[in-house]
Amino acid sequence: MTEEPYRWLEAVANRREYVREQLRGGSPAFAASLPDGILLLAVGSGQSKVFELFDRHALAGLGHPADIEKIRQAAIDAAHTESFTRAPEDVSLRRLVSFGLSPQLKTNFEQIFTAPFLVELLLAEIGPEPEKDLLLRLHFDGGFRFQMGGVMVAASQPEPEAAAQAWLNGALAGKNSRREVADMLLQTWWCLVENKPFGEGLPSESDRQEGWRKGTHDRTVELGWLARHAPRTARYEALSLAQAGL
Amino acid sequence: MNVETPIAGDFLSLLAAHKLAPLPSTPAPTAPVQTQATTVFAFEFAEGVLMAGDRRATAGNVIVTDRVDKVIEIDATSLLAIAGVPATAFEMARVLQTSFEYYRRSQLQSLSLPAKVRALARLLRENLAMTMQGIGVVAPLFAGLDNSVSPAKPQIYFYDPLGAQFQAVGYVASGSGSGTIRSVLSFQEQYGSPRPSQMKLGEAIRFALRLLMTASEFDSATGGVNPATRTYATIKLLRSSGVESVGDEQQSACLKG
Repeated sequence: MTEEPYRWLEAVANRREYVREQLRGGSPAFAASLPDGILLLAVGSGQSKVFELFDRHALAGLGHPADIEKIRQAAIDAAHTESFTRAPEDVSLRRLVSFGLSPQLKTNFEQIFTAPFLVELLLAEIGPEPEKDLLLRLHFDGGFRFQMGGVMVAASQPEPEAAAQAWLNGALAGKNSRREVADMLLQTWWCLVENKPFGEGLPSESDRQEGWRKGTHDRTVELGWLARHAPRTARYEALSLAQAGL
Repeated sequence: MNVETPIAGDFLSLLAAHKLAPLPSTPAPTAPVQTQATTVFAFEFAEGVLMAGDRRATAGNVIVTDRVDKVIEIDATSLLAIAGVPATAFEMARVLQTSFEYYRRSQLQSLSLPAKVRALARLLRENLAMTMQGIGVVAPLFAGLDNSVSPAKPQIYFYDPLGAQFQAVGYVASGSGSGTIRSVLSFQEQYGSPRPSQMKLGEAIRFALRLLMTASEFDSATGGVNPATRTYATIKLLRSSGVESVGDEQQSACLKG
C-alpha cells in the first residue's frame, strides 16, 4: 500500500507525456488584442479551431476535435445559463475558467483511469478598451494563465510556444492594423509548424510570408474577430482572409 | 463534462436540466385581472419589413411610463413586437434571445425561420395557465428572415394568445389600438398611393409614425408620437441584410420631410 502514491505520481507523469505526444504536430492558435478588437487565428479545416462562445467571448485551440468540442459546449452552456439567470454583463472569462473549465479539466486529468482531454486552448474576452482585453491560456491539465491585452500563443509544446510568444511580443509592437497582425501571426504559425528557430536563423520575412501562403494552400485559415464597438451585443464575427486584408 | 440536453442546442432543455425553467406558472383561483394596452404593427415596405410600436405602458387608467421599447431585436435576423402583459412578454423575449443565440453558437448554424416561429408558439402554449387567468396574456408579432430563398426574404407572423401562428400578408397589428391601425393599413393597401409595400424608407417611417399618432387619438393606452416632447416610436427594420434600428433623429427628420 505504501507504494500507491508513487504509482499515482508516475501515472500522472506518464499521462502528461502521453498528452504532449498526442498533441505533437497540432496546428498552433493565436489571439492578439488590437485597438478595434481581438483577432483570433488558427489554421484548420473551417469552423474547427476558432469559435464564438458568447457576446464578448471567443475560443481558439488545438487538439482532438471531439475534446475541443466538449469544452466548447461546456463553456457555451455555462455562459448562456449565467447570462439567463443573471445578465449577459455577468458572464466573465475569469469566472468561466476559474470556477468552471479549469477544475473540470484538472479533475479529468488526474483521474488516471479516464481518457484525458487532448487540448491546448486560448480564450479571449473583449473589454471596453485594449488594456482591459482579457486573454487566457488554458492547458489540458486545467492550468491557466491570464493576461491583459497583448498577444498570446497556444502551441502543442511549451518551449516553441514560449519562443514564439517572446518573438511576437516584439514583432507586433506598434502594429495596429488587422492585416499586419494577421500576417505576422501566420508567419509565426508557419515557423512553428516547420520548426524554424525564432532567434538566430529565423527565416526572412519574405520567406515566412511565402511559407504561410504555401502552408495554408489546402487548409483553411480560421479568423475570428471580437469587435470592440458594434451595434449588436454579439461582438464575434468570422472573417475570411480577404476581409482581413490578406 | 456537459449537462446532458435531450435536444441538441435546445436552451430550454438546458435550463430544465438545471431546474431553471422559465415562465413557471400555477393557476390561482382568485387571480386579479390586469389591464394592458398598446399598439404594435408591422408592414412590408419596398426594402423589407418595418415593425413599430408606441412606448406607453399602462395599468388600468394609470400611465406607468412612456419609454418602453416594445419592438425587440431577438437576434440579427429576428424581431419581436410585444402586446400584452409586459412581465410575461419581456420574459418571452429574453428566452427567445438566449435560445436563438445558444442554438447558433452551440450548433454552428442559425435556427431556421419555421423553428424560430414555433419557438415563440411553444412559449405561448406553455403560458396557457397565465393566459386563461387573464394575468399573462401576450399577443406578439414576429418578423424573421426566410433564408430558403435568395435573397433572404423578411416574413411577418402573428399569434393568438394560445400559441396559434399565422403568416401575415402585407401587414399586421396587435394591441388595443390595432383596430384603428388595421383599418388605415387596409385602406392604404387597397386605395393608397403609394401602397405600403411600394413605400421607400422615408415614406414608410413617416407612415408608421402617423399610424401611431392616429391610434393614440382613439386609444388612450397608446402613447403616440409627440415631436414637441421628443417622444417617438420604437421602429426597427428587417431587410435581407438583417435588423436595423431607426433612431429618434431619423424619425424626426422623416416626420418633418
